[in-house]
Amino acid sequence: MISFSPTEEQEEIRRLARSVASDELRPQARAAEKDGDIAAALMQTLTQTGLTTPFPEDYGGSGNIEAITYALIAEELGFGDGGLAMNVIGSMMGPLTVALAGNERQQSEYIVPFCGREGYKERGSLAFAERSGGYALADISATARREDRGYVINGTKRDVVHGAQSRPRVVLLRLEGTVGNAGLCAALLDDEALAGVHVRPETQKLGLQAAPSASYRFEHVMIPEAAMLGEPGNGGVVRAATLYLILRAGVACGMARAALEYAGKYAGERIAFGRPIVSYQGIAFMISEMAMKLDAARLLLWNAATHWDRGGADDALIHDAEAAHYQAVRIAKSATTDAVQILGGAGFMQDHPVEMWMRDAAAME
Amino acid sequence: MINFTLSKEQEAFRDYAHQVAVEEMRPIALECDRTEQIPESFFWNMQKRFWAGSAAQARAQGAERQENVFSMLSQEEMAWGDAALSTAIPGPGLAAPPILSQGTPEQQKRFLSIYMDGQLHWGALALTEPGIGSDVAGMSTTAVLDGDEWVINGHKHYITNGARADLVVTFATVDKSMGRAGIRPFVVPKGTPGLIVGRIEQKMGLRASQTAELIYENCRIPKDNLLAGRQTSQSSGFKAAMGTLDATRPMVGALAVGIARAAHEAACRWVKEELPAGYPALRRREIEDELEEIGQEIQMARFLVWRAAWMADQRIPNSKEASMCKAYAGALVMKATAAAVRITAPGENDETRQFIQKWFRDAKVFDIFEGTAQIQRLIIARRLFPQVDIP
Repeated sequence: MISFSPTEEQEEIRRLARSVASDELRPQARAAEKDGDIAAALMQTLTQTGLTTPFPEDYGGSGNIEAITYALIAEELGFGDGGLAMNVIGSMMGPLTVALAGNERQQSEYIVPFCGREGYKERGSLAFAERSGGYALADISATARREDRGYVINGTKRDVVHGAQSRPRVVLLRLEGTVGNAGLCAALLDDEALAGVHVRPETQKLGLQAAPSASYRFEHVMIPEAAMLGEPGNGGVVRAATLYLILRAGVACGMARAALEYAGKYAGERIAFGRPIVSYQGIAFMISEMAMKLDAARLLLWNAATHWDRGGADDALIHDAEAAHYQAVRIAKSATTDAVQILGGAGFMQDHPVEMWMRDAAAME
Repeated sequence: MINFTLSKEQEAFRDYAHQVAVEEMRPIALECDRTEQIPESFFWNMQKRFWAGSAAQARAQGAERQENVFSMLSQEEMAWGDAALSTAIPGPGLAAPPILSQGTPEQQKRFLSIYMDGQLHWGALALTEPGIGSDVAGMSTTAVLDGDEWVINGHKHYITNGARADLVVTFATVDKSMGRAGIRPFVVPKGTPGLIVGRIEQKMGLRASQTAELIYENCRIPKDNLLAGRQTSQSSGFKAAMGTLDATRPMVGALAVGIARAAHEAACRWVKEELPAGYPALRRREIEDELEEIGQEIQMARFLVWRAAWMADQRIPNSKEASMCKAYAGALVMKATAAAVRITAPGENDETRQFIQKWFRDAKVFDIFEGTAQIQRLIIARRLFPQVDIP
């Protein structure tokens, strides 16, 4: 049966995430952008809410992740600040991928540290996008070739949040010679293996500076068999990849909503020719379209998230997750760009956050 | 709980409507568009089909009370079949919302019972005039009380089913100086002396849909044909007009989604089966990406329509969401049909392309009637900024 209202519990979680976003993330956004990372104290606050540890309770987490609930949380975090949201989400994807695709030994080793008292100090990462593509599973072309008692990796990765410094550091790969989802796999890169990888911290980024990231280049890098998460081609890999798309889409929707709200407030107060600029149709219509397109993108996201929660790892899920990501990033870009426009000259200045949000949205590509 | 999955009953209902569209509408759609005529057999067939369908729907609704969501499912399928033909399906049509929202129980029974007698009956709503479209409050059609009768004088046009409707709910002003507050809804039966059917329009699209001009020359109707069940405020008549539009917006959105889906399906199939093998791979890829994006947006439009309908079922005020779904779907159906025309341009002018061209011609009006694209955006803005006066 069709329904569009979150449960009571989800509303409560959403309210909690929203208050953390407004009270903590938003005020620290510019500082985090300047520092290129999240402040330790803020990460500790966030971790204390329990929102950042959706892992099996056996390992000390708050319970297995529900994508629809986390779509709501991701949107609130993105509403607070896109860069900080991606910092947090990007980190979570490390242990989340291990939880979805790894065996018990791997889960125990890599997830437990995130759930302890010092868990807020841990960082994970998941490498998805490559130099030759974007956020579509078909674009994954970094390969793993079986050799001796391990695998040889070739290819590239970019925009890996926490890629330079994280544990677990997970990489999405394709078994050489395969096409389609059955060939997708995920491998752990510990610091030893990393020695053979060309890792470059990304500097001078356009946006999302609060989410430190790195690019990788693999040239015949050897990894042991035990580094592969579960069996190559296991459905958990597709589930992890699609979950990342869904959470990113949530962050993007949050960024769009921030822009809509901020520009809307400004347009309601800024006077020109004797009346608030929102009373002019040129401005009013921009805002109407922003609101309409955001609502549409959010519904597509919720559709993907509820699909993910029904289980499975097939083409239909991949399609829904990729569509949600594509449309969410699109509205994030247009809404933040329009927000700068609505603020006029002031929008171009760094006094206001909208120019940062526009750069953050563009960096989601 | 957030849920996008249709129930078994909803799926069955939608599938039934789809079958009706396939069997009754698609086979005659092109011919009806060409001739602007509909064979009588279509009306009888649809009547029969929908009595059966409604019974099934009523049974299913006992479980779920999602009348509006059910309605969106069938509207989308009907428009996928043929939007023009869907407007001609027998029934009270747009006359029903004002009668249901503004009529007394006695009036509702008196006016709506003919639609249950098994014969062919239609209804119409007369709002627009040559001098006013978006500016409803500025209407010139007047109603003056003379003894036991209202005397109506004026000129309405662009009325769907205006010539064949058994009842025309006509909005007229009892006092032009009162502006909005003077507007009232009146039920004018077919054949009333003084109700003159003028021209039937020739249109770009929805050509098989009857669009009529009605002239009122001292047209006299009984006093109790004024829909006056809710005389709670001066502006209830105007609100009846606006309320009708609120209720029909999601339906219009659903129709737009149906047409967009039809065009998108046809374009995708054409690319798969008809695009010459020698087409540059990169160009083929671009077309596929474009169609993929449109497919996503059709899904988004559908969800916006469902949301507005779901809110109506939950009795949550949905004016903003209704406007959003109509504005979004209107833009989307233009995009989808224009893309289909462009993508299939190199092909033979066969039946597929005839359909695609018809859908393109049909699509344009969805940004115009039932509230223009600009008015929708104005409504959305006013709902977003209730404290600001947005002219």
